Amino acid sequence: MTKASFEFAEMHWLMDVLQSIDVGLVILDRDYKIQLWNGFMENHSGLRPDDVHDKPLFGSFSEIPETWFRQKAEPVFELKTRTFTIWEQRPYLFKFKNYRPITGRAANMFQNSTIIPLESIDGSVKHICLIIYDVTDIAINKEDLTKANGNLAYLSQTDSLTELFNRGHWEEEFQREHKRCIRSKNPSSLVMFDIDHFKNVNDTYGHPAGDEVIRTLASIVRQTVRETDICGRYGGEEFTILLIDTDAQSAALFTERLRKKVDDLIVKTDNHDIKFTISSGIAEYSPNFKRHGDWIEAADKALYHSKENGRNRTTIFQNKPPQSL
Amino acid sequence: MGQAADRLARLLNVYVILPIPKVNMISSSELQMALADTSSNKNVSAVCQGFIGSGIAGEALLVFNDASFSDLAQLMNYKGPLDTHGELELLMDVSSVLIGACIQGIGEQLEITFNQGHPVVLGQHCQVDDLIKSGNHQWSQTLAIEINYKIENMNINCDLLLLFTEDSVAKINQQVDYLLD
Repeated sequence: MTKASFEFAEMHWLMDVLQSIDVGLVILDRDYKIQLWNGFMENHSGLRPDDVHDKPLFGSFSEIPETWFRQKAEPVFELKTRTFTIWEQRPYLFKFKNYRPITGRAANMFQNSTIIPLESIDGSVKHICLIIYDVTDIAINKEDLTKANGNLAYLSQTDSLTELFNRGHWEEEFQREHKRCIRSKNPSSLVMFDIDHFKNVNDTYGHPAGDEVIRTLASIVRQTVRETDICGRYGGEEFTILLIDTDAQSAALFTERLRKKVDDLIVKTDNHDIKFTISSGIAEYSPNFKRHGDWIEAADKALYHSKENGRNRTTIFQNKPPQSL
Repeated sequence: MGQAADRLARLLNVYVILPIPKVNMISSSELQMALADTSSNKNVSAVCQGFIGSGIAGEALLVFNDASFSDLAQLMNYKGPLDTHGELELLMDVSSVLIGACIQGIGEQLEITFNQGHPVVLGQHCQVDDLIKSGNHQWSQTLAIEINYKIENMNINCDLLLLFTEDSVAKINQQVDYLLD
């Protein structure tokens, strides 16, 4: 082979590579008109190079916002620097439909892109090259991972029977609020309540019926609280609710409403209609509660007082001897 | 570094204040410390980008103080809402220019054309400690260059940390010797 024919052959190979490489290549001139459109772009868009040649990028592909793209591309022309876009910013530049019916689980191809300056002989940049990478698999995997982590977090924080916070997570949240109370001095109230004579429910109707009672009670709690309140299943039949920005009196109104709802309720299982009641204790935050445990203890004392005084009632914790409502 | 600042200044049309870069050999256990120095206890957002060429390789890490974003949006003429997504746009735009120019500048000095990988967002609104998984680094001692960019009359503060691979250090010395001869 002579040198010239070798160079020609080499050129030919390079063109072949550009044409068949699994990466999108687009060359744009200073007016953002398309000058080169490789095989990847042709195959995914369905547009042949002569369909798009010398056509303005922005007119032909409405999915690319002009101001946004100029902001990325102008520094390439002006400063001869490369710029990059990632799928987290904008899922794709060119809207290419998913082409893999089995493994492609996204509607459209996720894309990263690089814009590189192409220097002409005089050193100025009159053209830029836009390189498009298919990152669908990476994006999907990352979204899967985020979702899986979210699920794991939910599972580790949630009590499976009631779908309220489990004790560990509730206590973490409660501890945070305790610290916030120390700083802000806003009144928040802790309500602890449990089901009266729950053991009898289990013994009389069986554990599945007991579970049904707990599940029903939890769903009533969810319907009664505000979105900001922090509810948890503290123990077997014991529940806790932290009412944010609520003083003891308002907390008592809330708790009494809950108590009456439960009192009027009949849980229907296959064979039985079950009635039950709850006893509650309320403790409003006080600077005396140095540790979050002190606060829980106060609410627990009030709850104990409700139990001692005939159940199906609410007690507010006071530093004086407590009194039932 | 000056070139990167110059490009930033031209892009934004502002004065960029540029201190003398800190050049150090650091051990992998000091990486966390070097990062912790960059911003004290504040929330940050960060982008990382790898580069490689002629046997020299490394990663550039750009750390933005979260307080910088509103001024940055004003400078970059960014009109959209300044939510997490808007901040990501700004982060990418500024890091493209800063990291790109810096790597290119070093490349020109050493007569090397670097390839740049895609930028990776390490985190938004997080503590510096959470940016990098500590331990398990495959190197013990390497070259680090830290540059702190500030913009005049603006509450903008960002740190660019260039970390070369261990193997690169000898190559850089070689290349510098060659260029000085």
